[in-house]
Amino acid sequence: MDVSQYLEIFLDETKEHLQNLNTRILELESDPENSDTINEIFRAAHSLKGMAGTMGYKRMQNLTHDMENVFSEVRNGTIKVMPEMIDVLFQCLDALEEYTDNIQSSADEGTNDNEPLIKKLNEILNGGSADNAEAGAPAQAEAAPKASSVEVGENKWDQVTLDSSQIAVIKAAQGEGKKVYGVNVVVQESCILKAARAFLVFKAVEELGEIIVSDPSAQDVEDEKFDRDFTLIVLSDADLDSVIKAAESVSEIEKATGAPLVLENNKSAAAEEGSEAGEAAADKPAEEKKPEAAAAKPAAVAAKPAAAAKPAAAAKPADNKKQAPGKPVVNRTVRVDIEKLDSLMNLVSELIIAKNSLVSASSQEQAASANNNSFNEQIEYLESVTTNLHESVMKVRMVPIESVVNKFPRMIRDLSKKLDKKMELYMTGEETELDRTVVDEIGDPLMHLLRNSADHGLESAEVRAQRGKPAVGSIFLDAYQDGNNVVIEVRDDGNGIDVEAVRNKAIERGTVTPEQAVNMTDKEIIDLLFLPSFSTAKQVTDVSGRGVGLDVVKSKIESLSGEVEVKSKLGEGSTWTIRLPLTLAIIQALMVVVGNEKYAISLGSIQTLEDIPPSDIKLVQNKEVINLRGMVIPLIRLNEVLDVKSNRSENDNLIVVIVKKGDKMAGFVIDELIGQQEIVIKSLGKYIKQCKFISGATILGDGEIALILDANALI
Amino acid sequence: MELSTNNSKLIPEDERQRSVETIQYIVIRLGEEQYGIDIRNIDTITRMQHITRVPKMPAYLKGVINLRGVVIPVMSMRLRMNLAEDEITKATRIIVLKLAEEGQVGFIVDEVKEVVSLSVDDIERIPDNKEGKANLINAVGKHNGELISLFDMSAISLEG
Repeated sequence: MDVSQYLEIFLDETKEHLQNLNTRILELESDPENSDTINEIFRAAHSLKGMAGTMGYKRMQNLTHDMENVFSEVRNGTIKVMPEMIDVLFQCLDALEEYTDNIQSSADEGTNDNEPLIKKLNEILNGGSADNAEAGAPAQAEAAPKASSVEVGENKWDQVTLDSSQIAVIKAAQGEGKKVYGVNVVVQESCILKAARAFLVFKAVEELGEIIVSDPSAQDVEDEKFDRDFTLIVLSDADLDSVIKAAESVSEIEKATGAPLVLENNKSAAAEEGSEAGEAAADKPAEEKKPEAAAAKPAAVAAKPAAAAKPAAAAKPADNKKQAPGKPVVNRTVRVDIEKLDSLMNLVSELIIAKNSLVSASSQEQAASANNNSFNEQIEYLESVTTNLHESVMKVRMVPIESVVNKFPRMIRDLSKKLDKKMELYMTGEETELDRTVVDEIGDPLMHLLRNSADHGLESAEVRAQRGKPAVGSIFLDAYQDGNNVVIEVRDDGNGIDVEAVRNKAIERGTVTPEQAVNMTDKEIIDLLFLPSFSTAKQVTDVSGRGVGLDVVKSKIESLSGEVEVKSKLGEGSTWTIRLPLTLAIIQALMVVVGNEKYAISLGSIQTLEDIPPSDIKLVQNKEVINLRGMVIPLIRLNEVLDVKSNRSENDNLIVVIVKKGDKMAGFVIDELIGQQEIVIKSLGKYIKQCKFISGATILGDGEIALILDANALI
Repeated sequence: MELSTNNSKLIPEDERQRSVETIQYIVIRLGEEQYGIDIRNIDTITRMQHITRVPKMPAYLKGVINLRGVVIPVMSMRLRMNLAEDEITKATRIIVLKLAEEGQVGFIVDEVKEVVSLSVDDIERIPDNKEGKANLINAVGKHNGELISLFDMSAISLEG
């Protein structure tokens, strides 16, 4: 069976299941008795096993199979959840992740059998179920929870109506010594694409033998015209167990039951018995091929939506249960290549520029003739359409940060064990949305900060006890939107930053002289932490302290046009605040004129605009400064920086844009203000990169290019 | 034959085989001299338009233009060749080249005259000369009794 076309779906689903398992096992650790969690874990593990089996990843299947055995014993109550067991389970998840990564990179699961893990799992299994002789039998374990099972008639295959030719085939097969089974397959209630799953069952069973009869018919199954179960009569050389297992290996199959078929028990067969017993059955096999071919199409089509719809199913199984059975959920998501979105975005920017030109042309026209009302109306309409189009395209690029932060609880749990500190991670605002490109990049910096908090921030248990803090340290990860920015805060209730230690370290390292150090504010000292290779950890640990952390965090965030700052109080904890623009492609900017050239300055860094008479300019160390409401702010004459001649006379008042970078302020002297505008950032290309205070260019409404000044580089 | 080896960096193998017979050049004018640019390197030719100056750039790098929504650096071919500053006339054009490494780059030229097909026999290679503009010109083509200097595109793209 060629499964390569399902590989992508397999990977997506596997990752979702693994994430789900990670989350649930964490829950299980804190609440070992929660049967809902255990059931959820069991289901996820079971689906994983089935999927791995279908795709032919035997090692992965073996490992999940053994994990599933453990979960099933836990569910049956024969094993208690022990901390060691959780550790082993997490190791298993890591191993599974490794398989998945291997599959993703090379379509092969690798050769690691993970024998030690499997052995550990079996030890858990044997240790816990010594008094239960039957434990460990997977077929039994896979039986669905009683609560959710529907009235599935046992021996349903005896109710199936057989026609005479089918009976003849069965008889002939039995005569040849082949085995004929009746199999009843029940699909999970939460299953969204029953037809697709059923198709996979058909495929799996057909690998072992021949499906003679399906009730409802293969056509009906394919059209989802069945409730939750369907019955197959299978001709096979394999034993019953393997047929049932094959059916159950498909994910979202609740259970499969079966028994050797006894014709005498079948009501229709019994009726026909005798009258047409001898009839030949030559045309049968040909007909049986049909379901496979016919079902293949919907399955391929249906498989994709299944992957997309899966998160909802995994997150809220309860919701799905409420949906009427047999009514497929309409697929509402589509996976799109980010490059396609980029090109769409470019086209929209183009459209906006074209629209802007049209608007300026029409306003000139209007001056000439007053008789173009309908023309103007259409222009206005076009304007509103393009604005909406632009917003929609921007929104398409936004994704919740959830996908990134979801892995952190598990990380903190592992760190907690490793560092032997008790800690808990509290997250809020996982649903906050950011541009896709930013979300992809933000994971590593956040991980650094969390590790930092766990390792350096939180004190050891003794110290915490002395200080009267709760034994369990808290780390918070909060994300929220703030205007055109998204703020992510990493906060801990640990020791905070020891400014004196940093100061001494800085002197010791020669970063600053002792004289400088004395004069530096606490804030300045803390900022030293962001310098490359500056680590205050007294010992280099496995977790952090190699001095490659914070400067990497800072440069990464800055490369995303964001900023990071830290507030800390010794003994009470620190807060790291990351501020990121909602999107990288479009910013709000102040358009200014210097000389006769137009420039854009990102509104994010601008504090105020000031009108300053020349007499207010003072000289300090031969540099121009102004005293603005008690603050001394250096002036930067942009015309000098940009090598153009100012078109204002010496005696005119100066227009000064006050910009801020961290605690530093500066005043940019410009010639004219144009106003605020939303601009699309374009790269200047590879040829022009020497100019470090130009961060890019943008195309204005008239098609002209304005350069974007990087205020941070100028201060 | 010799020219085709020079151009090997820019032209795929199979294309070189096919173009052994003739190569098409766009003939441009800079001052009084005529130059040829291999047509396969040319993306677009546009009329002169407003060029946005970028500060702190070498003089020959005139700035950037907006070509259908893409920001493209533009340089003066005259300054690049150590000739006098451009005089912008109605005939002035910007030739946009598409280079493998650097992407699109525009060049200001005085005039775009015609497209000529030069057979390999009419192209004579100039030996390497380390000084002056010779390193931008690597061959001379003969066409209707006139000489056309042929640019070495790989040399143009390397600097900048």
